[in-house]
Amino acid sequence: MDIPFVIINGITIACIYGLIAVAVSITWSALGLLNLSYGFIFSFAGYGAWLAERYVWHDPVFVLFMGIFSGVVGGILVCLLVFIPVHDKPNFNIRGMIGTLAVSLIGSQCLLQYFGPKNKLLPEVFGYWKIKIFGVVLTADKVGVIVCSILMIIIVVRWMKSSRRGLEIRAMMMNPHAASIVGIGVRRTGLYVMAVTGAMTGLSSVLLSQTYYLAPFSGLTPMIKGVSIALMGGLGSVKGAIIAAIILGFNEALTSRFLGGQYVLITQFSLIILVLLIRPRGIAGILDKAREA
Amino acid sequence: MSEQTKTKKKITWKNPLALWGASGGNYEVPTITHKDPSEIWEKTKSFIVPITKIGRFHYEYKSSNHGSKLWNRTRWWPTRRTILWTKGVYNRKSLKAEKIRKDKRPIFWFLGLVFLALFPFIVPEDYKNTLLVAGGIFGIYASINLCWTLVIGTANIFSLATYAVVGAAAFGTSWLSINLGLPWWTLPLIGMGVGFICGIIIAIPALRLDGFYYGLLTLGLNELCRVYVVTSKTFGSASGGLYGASTFINDEWPPMVQSITSYYSSIILLILTLFLFRFVDGKRLGRILRMSPEKKEAFAEASGINYKKARVMVFLISSTALGFIGGFYTAYYRGVAFNIFSFDTVLLGLAMITIGGIGRSEGAVIGTMLVVVLDKVLISLGPIRYIMIGVLMILTILFLRNGIFGIRKQFREWRDKKKGERRSSRLERGGEMLPEQATEMDDKDEVYRKRYDKMQREFLKTLVSEEVVEEHKKKPLGQHSEALERLLLYFRRSSQVDKYVIKCEKPFKKYKIMALSGKRGGSPRLVEDKTYTSTEDAYHGVFLRRLQDLMEA
Repeated sequence: MDIPFVIINGITIACIYGLIAVAVSITWSALGLLNLSYGFIFSFAGYGAWLAERYVWHDPVFVLFMGIFSGVVGGILVCLLVFIPVHDKPNFNIRGMIGTLAVSLIGSQCLLQYFGPKNKLLPEVFGYWKIKIFGVVLTADKVGVIVCSILMIIIVVRWMKSSRRGLEIRAMMMNPHAASIVGIGVRRTGLYVMAVTGAMTGLSSVLLSQTYYLAPFSGLTPMIKGVSIALMGGLGSVKGAIIAAIILGFNEALTSRFLGGQYVLITQFSLIILVLLIRPRGIAGILDKAREA
Repeated sequence: MSEQTKTKKKITWKNPLALWGASGGNYEVPTITHKDPSEIWEKTKSFIVPITKIGRFHYEYKSSNHGSKLWNRTRWWPTRRTILWTKGVYNRKSLKAEKIRKDKRPIFWFLGLVFLALFPFIVPEDYKNTLLVAGGIFGIYASINLCWTLVIGTANIFSLATYAVVGAAAFGTSWLSINLGLPWWTLPLIGMGVGFICGIIIAIPALRLDGFYYGLLTLGLNELCRVYVVTSKTFGSASGGLYGASTFINDEWPPMVQSITSYYSSIILLILTLFLFRFVDGKRLGRILRMSPEKKEAFAEASGINYKKARVMVFLISSTALGFIGGFYTAYYRGVAFNIFSFDTVLLGLAMITIGGIGRSEGAVIGTMLVVVLDKVLISLGPIRYIMIGVLMILTILFLRNGIFGIRKQFREWRDKKKGERRSSRLERGGEMLPEQATEMDDKDEVYRKRYDKMQREFLKTLVSEEVVEEHKKKPLGQHSEALERLLLYFRRSSQVDKYVIKCEKPFKKYKIMALSGKRGGSPRLVEDKTYTSTEDAYHGVFLRRLQDLMEA
């Protein structure tokens, strides 16, 4: 019984999906937009990194940053296409969500049209080394994934806590109407939020591509998992999303270890339904008072 | 200078007061030049703002009517319902009795269904097969979307598990049909059972969750079904689906007969679902659900509505119907493929109801038709057709509030807004009174008086000049030039409120100007400290104050 192995696996999974979940949470609470186009942004960022690696430079760090950068571009694209035109129209919640779905449909089909259905492989960003801590063998990609994603989340959270832009975003989270009255531009803040969350998705795309192939529709499963984690944590709460990511990451690691891979989603959704039946607003569930759907 | 004075002296005007024998009242006296009062009158009379046609539907045919005709109507046996909702009105212009149809939707539904019934006979032979296959798919998907509309529109619960229920019923019935050899006609009935169970499963979280929490949860359930089926050997993970169920379409029939049979069977399914929709949405359950949408549950509960029961009911009814459709799907296609559970299917379904308009049966049907035409008929375009569907979806989201069938309402709101803007711009010319004030004023003569008054004051302002003041200073009483006379007539006619009067403090020595209070018993107030030594001076002082008031107002 290798408990440390399960723990490390759980943390790795939690890190990748946690990134998307935090992105979904921030977008929802700051903009009131349930962005279901992270799947598209995910693939878009992956292809951006792939193109950069293929045509520009092979350096792994450069590829990583190009992935993040393409994620930013994808996020801004979605913001310009959906959030900015629709945010002040009636029925924004549902229209925005359907709009992001439409962007996701168009974008994925465009990627399919342009790159073809063949899977692409990103380079190993973190090399092939191994490290042994407390008798656990850690491969390079796992260490890289954990370090990078925790670093990213810390940077984003610090930025939101300490910068002027972060203050604006937090004001939007608390009360979007009052924030707009005191002169915080909804559209501009929307751009920041979508760029930052796009960067997080882009990073998760590069990180997940260390283990999986890249395909036009490969963003779908991470997106659905990220959204379910955000849901379980309570839409709009970063802390809740992180807790939920850890719980679901361990659930996934444990399930695939003891029951088998195909039962992962079953146990995951049973867990989510259970949590939501007990706490209908997710684990955190209090911040949601700030923004009623 | 001398030229001008010459011409000035030539101008005379007829003194209206001369007939009463005023002292020094000549019949014709010279006057200074001034503006013609008819100019401003003509200007006010003519509208400058362009007038647009008011009223609507000049082209609409209205059948003639007679009072007694309204009572002889054909009714749906055995109910008291009339075939069409008819109302007798009188034409506002001609006062003729007319009959109007209050709700024309049944006419369009009838025409649409006639079109669907005749469809196989009017399509060109070359495309007949493709179009019939697409028509069959349209019937099934439109039925699914109608059931979905019951949940997402009537009950206002954002559920995405619709296709999961259909898929579960389809996979269940396929498996039973293949392994137990059940005949095709049992499949929809068994599907109803499966759907009922699914309905219970998805109704339980709906009682606790709301909004996107429920939507995302159902999306997760859909994904769960997909992963389970794809990885499970019993449901044919190797072959991409379950095939070989029994069907009502006989292989030995000629191909065209097969296509036409399947087409009509799916249209019959659509009609059945339309009836279901009408009897849920248009009856008691629909009313209850539409009264208790999300966030208004408290009000519904206070009105004595058990909204939870209603929600569970609509879930059970729609899921049972979806199960029936799932069984029909199996019998129709001899089995079912995995992609019924895929995210794209949900996405396309959402595109269908969004483009048509969420919450309306005609929206669900027409949206389905559009997307199916794009998806199945233009199949040669490849992935571009999905991009087209996505673009259509984005355009709907950006410009329409509720899809194609929301255009009418949205357009009317826009038109009414524009109409209001135009009306207010017309009324702005109307003088002092704002439209809101005018509607609140009981005495409408006052509205017109103010309007006339504004016009008159604008004209009188043009008459005020140094010459007029000089003339009045020389001779405050008696006969004046036309300009001065007009000004004085206007001033004398002013209301008692704040009307200037002269107070004699010491005869022939001290005069002061006062203003009347305008109220019986209210004393006049002193307006200035200045004292005048003669009545003429005081008259002139009052005149100057009035001029000042006129120019400032």
